[in-house]
Amino acid sequence: MSDGASQNPGPDLRSGGEPAGVVEFHERQEAVGRDVRTEEMVFNMGPQHPATHGVLRVAVKTDGEYVRALQPHVGNIHRCAEKIGESVAFYQWIPYLDRMDYLSAMCNEHIGCMAIERLGGIEVPERAEYIRVIVAEIQRVLSHLMAIGVYGLDLGAFTPFLHQFRERERGMDLLDHLAGGRLLYHYVRIGGVKRDFSQDWLDELEAFLAAVERRLPEYNTLLLNNRIFQERTFHVGVIDHPTAAAWGVTGPALRAAGVDWDLRRDVPYSIYDRFEFEVPHGYSGIGGEAGDCFHRHWVRVREVEASIKIIRQALAQMPEGPVMGRVPKGFKPPEGQVFVRGENPRGELAVYMVSAGKQDKAWRARCRGPSFSNIACITEVAEGMLIADLVALIGSLDIVLGEVDR
Amino acid sequence: MAERSDTPLDAADDPVTVQALERIRAELPDVEVLARTTGAHPFLGVPAGDLRAVCRLLRDDPALRYDCCHLISAVDWPEPAEGEPHIDVIYHLVSYVVRQDAAYAARAEKNDPFLALAVRVPRDAPEVPTVMDIWIGADWHERETWDLMGVRFTGRAELPRILLPEDWPGHPLRKDWEFPASYHGVPIIPPDGL
Repeated sequence: MSDGASQNPGPDLRSGGEPAGVVEFHERQEAVGRDVRTEEMVFNMGPQHPATHGVLRVAVKTDGEYVRALQPHVGNIHRCAEKIGESVAFYQWIPYLDRMDYLSAMCNEHIGCMAIERLGGIEVPERAEYIRVIVAEIQRVLSHLMAIGVYGLDLGAFTPFLHQFRERERGMDLLDHLAGGRLLYHYVRIGGVKRDFSQDWLDELEAFLAAVERRLPEYNTLLLNNRIFQERTFHVGVIDHPTAAAWGVTGPALRAAGVDWDLRRDVPYSIYDRFEFEVPHGYSGIGGEAGDCFHRHWVRVREVEASIKIIRQALAQMPEGPVMGRVPKGFKPPEGQVFVRGENPRGELAVYMVSAGKQDKAWRARCRGPSFSNIACITEVAEGMLIADLVALIGSLDIVLGEVDR
Repeated sequence: MAERSDTPLDAADDPVTVQALERIRAELPDVEVLARTTGAHPFLGVPAGDLRAVCRLLRDDPALRYDCCHLISAVDWPEPAEGEPHIDVIYHLVSYVVRQDAAYAARAEKNDPFLALAVRVPRDAPEVPTVMDIWIGADWHERETWDLMGVRFTGRAELPRILLPEDWPGHPLRKDWEFPASYHGVPIIPPDGL
């Protein structure tokens, strides 16, 4: 077909004010388009794909190297967490919360227990509140270290991934010594926590915090301040404030968009109102533009520092006392409903719980996994992107599929 | 909504919900909205037919600006203490534009400044208009609610399942749902207690 080429002058890719180098590239693409027949192609990224961080399948409609449309397909590891939540006793549901977002099990337990305690009017001892905050912040450090390292891996930098595991391993040992598990703990219980800190453990914690503080600038040399990493992530996958809010994007991705909002500071649950800490939020002064992949990474790095600050303050303020409150045997909360949300490493985890009364289990146990809403937004954000940038975008959202599918 | 325990809402309890109620009454006088609370969970009961008008007002009103539909849930009440069997569809809205700090401080029990809407629909024909065009993030939540609870959201192009396979029998979070004997020839043995 001799005139096939003229009917297909190549895609118009110049919209959207791209940098000069990219425009040149597009001009070349157009020249190629005059000679070569191109057509749209649909392919699957995943479900087993290193860049999707779990079993996520994204059906991508591509035009050459560009993403024209995409549809994420989730549900591959749906484990009926909400059905189980209304089938087992309240205390038996806590381990299932661990397994939703398996990289922030302590934070999930904390918020789930808060919901159940508010439903039943259970008081938590002061010391247990401090312990909960400390373990939740250790978890946040571990989760963000993982996110920082794995993001490097997504973009082709293998080294930071291996380095962060050195510190992460120490942190996981720390929680292992406290709770008896490396990843899933079942440590926070209704009414308090399982056991108190020992002096040895506190020494170990101090060594861990010092190690993270010492190593964090090294990671930044490898990624955050690295010219290659910056060029790779500036202006890529921009999620601005209106887009983020409309899609329900929360956590570091919302703050990266320039929204100065952190539930720990603005709606202080537990005892977060007793600590002074910074809430990093994106602005163009650090390079790139607010809401791009670089800002999401930057927010996580800053949050690690903030978490260490919170842990140190909590250790200094922590009173003596019991770590377990009074929980009635055969706990049956009165009729009622609660909606509790808290700031997880990935965003706002919300638990909406309904008790029908006279039952030791919930009538309805609804969870909002932050990753669920965070990943949904890629259908809009990724349109017109390069396929390689799609990997950068999904990685920067730091999703955990266990929580998307629940 | 457990009819047995919810009570009319007092402005002193919850300025956030009452402020929204006043704006709705001022702008949409024909809409019958009820402010109720169940324990520490205040909410506005909205008729399904008026949901979209109310949601649009809540999003666009300069004093409210609820720009995020945080969560959509549904609760099945097959045998309520009073009234017909029904399903409650609950919308939790939050705002990242209007700071509710003062309202938060005033709210009892350190509860945070969300706004909950409850839409009651009959259990045999649960239909609610979509709010996907108001908050695009509602898309997946509506799909999940359809998938697990069988609430049909009208006015959207398609409503596929999201977590379960398309041919999965029934909607598992309905209280009367029963485990199928098998799925594609694979026998299903329900665990004890489920």
